[in-house]
Amino acid sequence: MLNLERIPDQVGYLLLTEDGAVISSGGEMENDERIANVIYGLISLADKVDSTIQEEGYKRISVVYDDHCYVICLSNKKIHVVKRKFLQNHTEPAVA
Amino acid sequence: MERSIIKCLDNISEVASVRGCLLADEQGLCLGVRGGISPQSSGVITALSQQAGLLEPHSTKHPVVILENDFRQCYIHGNGKVVTAIQKTAAS
Repeated sequence: MLNLERIPDQVGYLLLTEDGAVISSGGEMENDERIANVIYGLISLADKVDSTIQEEGYKRISVVYDDHCYVICLSNKKIHVVKRKFLQNHTEPAVA
Repeated sequence: MERSIIKCLDNISEVASVRGCLLADEQGLCLGVRGGISPQSSGVITALSQQAGLLEPHSTKHPVVILENDFRQCYIHGNGKVVTAIQKTAAS
């Protein structure tokens, strides 16, 4: 049903409302309220960074580890979060 | 110690695409800044780095947080003692 499931290399996804409530989830992040709360906190903090170092605001937040990353976007008044694994021969996934 | 911080900031800001950089300690105190980043943002930058670490609290590696728009990218990385923020123009 969700397009998030079709993203290449994704191993989990979360769809949140603007106030942080989970609408849907899947993969490694299925029903993971803890991650949802951490991500909501991250977005609240990034809002404050906007005014101090980046007046234009941000389109995307990525949290990058050695072999995987979390990509966070706000679209259609919903917060989209996807966890992606890096391919062995690539340092980071192709931009969606 | 101060000299090494200044040298580190100078080395980072010499890179062509870098617009600004900031170093802060684990409590959000600004240790030094170059370019377009405001020293007042050091607390929020440190908090962002610590919040990102909560995603995987058992991981031994510290993640890099990247804030992006069409024109700029801001990379934030904390190693538990020092948090580094680097603002770059987006690669064309």
